[in-house]
Amino acid sequence: MPRILLVEDNEMNRDMLSRRLQRKGYEVTMAVDGRQGVEMARSGGYDLILMDMSLPEIDGWEATRQLRAAPETKVVPIIGLTAHAMAGDREKALEAGCNDYDTKPVELPRLLGKIEALLGGVK
Amino acid sequence: MNTTLSGTTLTVEAQAQLRHDLRTPLNHIIGYTEMLLEDTGDDAPAGRRARLEQALAGARVALDLINAALGSARRIVPGDVVRLYESLQEPRRSIVEAVSGLLPESDGDGGGAFNADLKKILSAAERLAPEPAQAAGAASAEPTAAPPAAPVDATPSQARILIVDDGAENREVLRRRLEREGHAVETAENGRRALELVAERPYDLVLLDVLMPELDGYAVLDALKGSPATRDIPVIMISALDELEGIVRCIERGAEDYLHKPFDPVLLRARINASLDKKRMRDQEVEYLREVNRVIEAASAVEGGHYRPGALAEVTRRDDELGHLARVFDSMAQQIKAREERLRDRVRDLRQEIEWARRDSKEADSALDGGNLRSGDNFAQRYEIIAVMGRGGMGTVYRAKDLELEEEVAIKTLRPEFVSDKTLLARFKDEIRLARRLSDASIVRTHDFGEWSGVCFLTMECVQGITIRELIDTRGRLGVSATLAIATQLAHSLAVAHAHGVIHRDIKPQNLLVDEAGVLKVMDFGVARLAERSTANTEAGLVIGTPAYMPPEQLMGEPVDARSDLYAAGVVLYECLTGQLPFQAGSVISLVAKLLKEEPRPPHDVNQEIPPALSALVLRLLAKRPEDRVQTAVELGLQLAALC
Repeated sequence: MPRILLVEDNEMNRDMLSRRLQRKGYEVTMAVDGRQGVEMARSGGYDLILMDMSLPEIDGWEATRQLRAAPETKVVPIIGLTAHAMAGDREKALEAGCNDYDTKPVELPRLLGKIEALLGGVK
Repeated sequence: MNTTLSGTTLTVEAQAQLRHDLRTPLNHIIGYTEMLLEDTGDDAPAGRRARLEQALAGARVALDLINAALGSARRIVPGDVVRLYESLQEPRRSIVEAVSGLLPESDGDGGGAFNADLKKILSAAERLAPEPAQAAGAASAEPTAAPPAAPVDATPSQARILIVDDGAENREVLRRRLEREGHAVETAENGRRALELVAERPYDLVLLDVLMPELDGYAVLDALKGSPATRDIPVIMISALDELEGIVRCIERGAEDYLHKPFDPVLLRARINASLDKKRMRDQEVEYLREVNRVIEAASAVEGGHYRPGALAEVTRRDDELGHLARVFDSMAQQIKAREERLRDRVRDLRQEIEWARRDSKEADSALDGGNLRSGDNFAQRYEIIAVMGRGGMGTVYRAKDLELEEEVAIKTLRPEFVSDKTLLARFKDEIRLARRLSDASIVRTHDFGEWSGVCFLTMECVQGITIRELIDTRGRLGVSATLAIATQLAHSLAVAHAHGVIHRDIKPQNLLVDEAGVLKVMDFGVARLAERSTANTEAGLVIGTPAYMPPEQLMGEPVDARSDLYAAGVVLYECLTGQLPFQAGSVISLVAKLLKEEPRPPHDVNQEIPPALSALVLRLLAKRPEDRVQTAVELGLQLAALC
């Protein structure tokens, strides 16, 4: 079962998205801010990270940069998520090191498509 | 909710926050509803699926409304946000209605989780678009308070409106109506008071009664439309039904629209909103044009050399083409300014070198060595010789006083032994014709040509300075910074001359003067020729210029062009940086042999302090084939700027 780390500060978002992903056969672990997200990701064992971009402590862009700089998380796929959906957000996320990017509200089939594409044969 | 406003437009940060605040609850509504739909099997209670689908449809409508209102390419004003919130009320109601309808049912069947998710959807719907605080139909005279979580708490109203009517009842009815719509309303009981208020503060709209004692509606309208400060405030006339003729007059005089008494609430709202929308668009246009003007002003400021970086900060924050233009422009202007500052630093270093050279050199300018004229001699019945400034291949240069104009000039005489040489004389006359075409601070100005007692002479601007020759001779070699100051100015000077079709042909340290301010001036166009006439006027094989600074093609008597000057500039820079010539030889023959066979030692090898990129640029100037060199003086200037 592929393991996903969901880094998200909004409780309802965490509850909703984790349940929906679990239903689709993923094991979901959660972090509530950027700092915790980086710590948990670096302890290893995740196949993919879903990173909200507007997070307290360390924001998603910075957390992504830190994960890309650390040898143990350098290659873990990261999908950036944001509800801002401003022009240029996508480029900013990819620049920080995200493999892909999606907006909220989440369209589950679209997000699942991106997750599966990045996980390749894992599932 | 913390939405900030910049003038009349939401800042980019505020827009981002607004999207976040709207899309987050929508994410919850859609996510939970879709999940509940997945759980809704065929055995589910009747109507459950339909209600969940209704909620989902409501959420999708809300998303479309948000996307349409907050499209990324738009400028968003507070009024847009208020309208968006109003438009979200309908889908919100639909969601709440659908989900509330399921709650009693779920309470009944003990579906705790189902129930909890429904409550989450309801709470998200409330956050998506808070229900307006005011109960519909309330006739309260109190101004409408903004909903507690309204998005634009800095602007509790849509517009600031002035009502001008002598009837107290009319004023009161209108005021209540408009306040209920969320506007900030003030009233005036006569025309005079109205004009006072308008002079004091800005209004978005004036509602103006036609018939008033003293100053009537026409007079007030004329006053408003006659002043540039108030001309653009839309005015809606208030009239009784039988005043049609008067209304036509008002509209001809610039009134936006009219309203009949008694007021129809729907018509009132529609006309007021239409007027406000038009004003908003006009304001935006005016604002846009103002910002276009700022960019134009900034361009003139750059030309005038007084552009202040960041002057366009406000325009650069726009997310349209004008903002993009302003960002590109600002960054270019900042780069130019930074370069200018670096150049200033370099010139300062150059001046320091000059200062040191002055201190080191022995005072020798009183001796008139080699010249035929002596200090105090009168020359051409107009000039008094002061001192010898230097000696060139063709004559002596004196510092002299122009007795007629009472200013110092430089006089360059042609050696008497060359007077008989018709070619040299013609060449000398060419000097003034060419030099007079060139007018630039970087080129020594030529005043006049004359002949006196068999001596041909040229008068020139007298530059009190030091030649690069003297600088190198006293300093040994120059610092990188001072050399770059010389190089940048030399590139500019050559670019000016080349643009006029003039090739110097004899660029060398003796011909480059630096004045006290560190400004480089190129002198001695005595051997220069118009490029297009070079082959016709130069005898085959006749070498003009100073061999050590000449490119191979000039030494071989082949045609020269602008790139030959660039080679000479390369030799000068090589010498400035290293204190030595790229090729050292005892005779022209051995120089030609070396020049054709050998490569110069890279300046960086001679002196490690020279940056490799600068060293490489100097070597490119010294390329044997003209086509391998930097091709133009303008390009050299750009390459030097890139080294900064």
